[in-house]
Amino acid sequence: MKNVMGLVFANIYDSSLGQLTNKRTQASLPYGGRYRQIDFTLSNMANAGIRHIGIVTQYNFQSLMNHIGSGEEWDLELEENGLEFITPYSMGVSNNFRGKLEAIAAANSGYLAKGKEEYIILADAAVICAIKLEDVVNAHIASGKDVTVVVKSGIANGKKQLDLAVRLDENGEISDMAVDYAAPEDYLASMGMFIMRKDLLVKSAEECVSHNRYRFEREFILQDWADGLLSVGAYQFDEVALFNESTEEYFRNNLAIIDKNIRHSLFREGLTIYTKVRDQVPVYYGENSEVDDCIVADGCVLLGSAFNSVFFRGVKLSTGASVKNCVVMANCEIGIGAQLEYCILDKDVKINAGVKLIGTLEHPVILNRGDVV
Amino acid sequence: MNFQKKRCVAMLLAGGQGTRLYVLTENTAKPAVPFGGKYRIIDFPLSNCVNSGIDTVGILTQYQPLELNEYIGNGQPWGLNRSHGGVQVLPPYAGSKKSEWYKGTANAIYQNIKFIERYNPDNVLILSGDHIYRMDYAKMIKYHEEHDADITIAVRKVPMEEASRFGIMNTNPDGSIYEFEEKPKQPKSNNASMGIYVFKWSVLKKFLIEDEEDPNSENDFGKNIIPAILNSGHKLFAYDFEGYWKDVGTISSLWEANMELLGTDPEFNLYGDGSAPIFARNYALPASYIDTKSKNINCLIAEGCEVYGSVKHSVVSTGCKISKDVVLEDAVIMPNTVIEEGVIIRNAIIGEGCTIRSGAVIGGAFREGEKRQIAVVGKDHVIEVNQVVKPGEVI
Repeated sequence: MKNVMGLVFANIYDSSLGQLTNKRTQASLPYGGRYRQIDFTLSNMANAGIRHIGIVTQYNFQSLMNHIGSGEEWDLELEENGLEFITPYSMGVSNNFRGKLEAIAAANSGYLAKGKEEYIILADAAVICAIKLEDVVNAHIASGKDVTVVVKSGIANGKKQLDLAVRLDENGEISDMAVDYAAPEDYLASMGMFIMRKDLLVKSAEECVSHNRYRFEREFILQDWADGLLSVGAYQFDEVALFNESTEEYFRNNLAIIDKNIRHSLFREGLTIYTKVRDQVPVYYGENSEVDDCIVADGCVLLGSAFNSVFFRGVKLSTGASVKNCVVMANCEIGIGAQLEYCILDKDVKINAGVKLIGTLEHPVILNRGDVV
Repeated sequence: MNFQKKRCVAMLLAGGQGTRLYVLTENTAKPAVPFGGKYRIIDFPLSNCVNSGIDTVGILTQYQPLELNEYIGNGQPWGLNRSHGGVQVLPPYAGSKKSEWYKGTANAIYQNIKFIERYNPDNVLILSGDHIYRMDYAKMIKYHEEHDADITIAVRKVPMEEASRFGIMNTNPDGSIYEFEEKPKQPKSNNASMGIYVFKWSVLKKFLIEDEEDPNSENDFGKNIIPAILNSGHKLFAYDFEGYWKDVGTISSLWEANMELLGTDPEFNLYGDGSAPIFARNYALPASYIDTKSKNINCLIAEGCEVYGSVKHSVVSTGCKISKDVVLEDAVIMPNTVIEEGVIIRNAIIGEGCTIRSGAVIGGAFREGEKRQIAVVGKDHVIEVNQVVKPGEVI
């Protein structure tokens, strides 16, 4: 897929993820014991042979840049301009991008112009999935449509606000499209992934921005489709796709990979998910440990009991401590006899001996990075 | 070409055939044998080099070098992917028309004099590729330089009754060596050589050339080079090392060394104090899944595993599947092995990439005081349904 470049938007849902994105982008949120959300997006692209990826980010991007580095884990360092961060200031825009379209228009003269690719895939890091993007590209080219949006069934439920939802007719053609809409169940949710010709994208973005239209889904896709200026097709994705657009979803979806079917869909043969390497030692399970139904990353020392939880790298769980239904990020320490249920512990949190914290599935207790309780 | 000078170049002798590891080294050089869940034996001396500030390492290999070559690659996992120095795998007479095995450890270095000369080092550190330990070589080199020694040999105290199994360095009170005895029947001291030497390069080079010209020499460091240098009045010093060190050249010592990683205060702590990490080539594997029905006690389990059975006092390496109703006790499971339902494995080492079909029984339990015999299943083997591998049996 040398003919396709990637463009990833890193900050899309920052505001709905509360304190978890205080000091990081949504894309660099830890996920699945040893990943950042963007690892899935970048790996999907790298696995499809995409060699040029731009990452649009506006603020809080220090941790994202640290994580991705030169992109060597995704082999992006091998080519000139394999990876580029696109920030408002580097693009001569003095304020934040007012929407994806402004970022695209701003990047046009720079990064987008450098690549010789004919097609471009737009994605964000909010939807966790392992997807074979070659299939999407091939389907897009075969369809002859201007744009293909990747969609997922079973997400629309009449309650969840969707960025973009479509309804298909019996021929698989889009019969209705809506934005920012709590669509009913017969709609398919956009996974935030779009493929189109790069020249069309650039031309459209520039035209939209010149008319103060900045919002990609609402003011470009929907508007031009409704006006009959743009043909849009839908590619239905059948494997697991987890939408992490709010704190509650993020919490549920982190615990979701404990489920075998979900885990085996996200980590499939031939679709390796790459991440930054850390030299951590294998996990030690103590003499009196009891670990049931958990995901555990390297570097943990588990001496207490744990149930239905996800442990990121380097967590120390002391004797007699009990952790249930929790997401415990890297390098947390949980003291002797502490009791945690339904909690999200951000990195480097220290829970002192005997502390008891109980949240609920809908409202987990969230501890900020470095908190000592 | 004008190369920058290096203070010390390390040469790692990885050529050993490892015949005492039997099936585990059938298609693998000994240093490439997996250890401790996610490492290979060679990660330990290599990481020690990096943590000691040595950035130029030659790896001398001749048996089954393919896997080792692939593992080392460009040295990036150890931070040794450098434009000047870094890590290089050196097979016998690379780049020469004459193809010859390394005749001995000294000959291996002799054949690579050109490699060493490129860096014009003051000292050359000679290491073995089959020892598990954590050591700051910089301290030893400092000791070597402070004593203006021609050779400094790292030694550790062994129990007197075991001293006759080792190369013993007899020293004066100032640490200088006056006598070297290879496996003495009546040992005079218990300073056992660890096979770690710092040589003044100018001295080593001279003796390597002389040794090569001697048709009766076995071209071995212990048998020829060190006695020759000692007998010609050069300064040899012993450097005391305290801490964990293990030769993992046999099945039982390899098994033991794995077991010594276990416990809350293990004999060898892989993590250490955090300042000298052991680097390894990491593969992109997800975090491990531990099922409700599993029971894991006092064990190490690396990433990329799915564990449904019980793992007790064992080491399970990356990418293994331990199915339900499996019992592992005192076992070492090397990477990417699949163990099907109901298998029982005790006191055993299972090689990389094996499939152990359901109901198989491998090894057995031993009573206190009874001599343990470790059952071994070689790399990429398939053990059939209900097959029995007896204690101590090697397949």
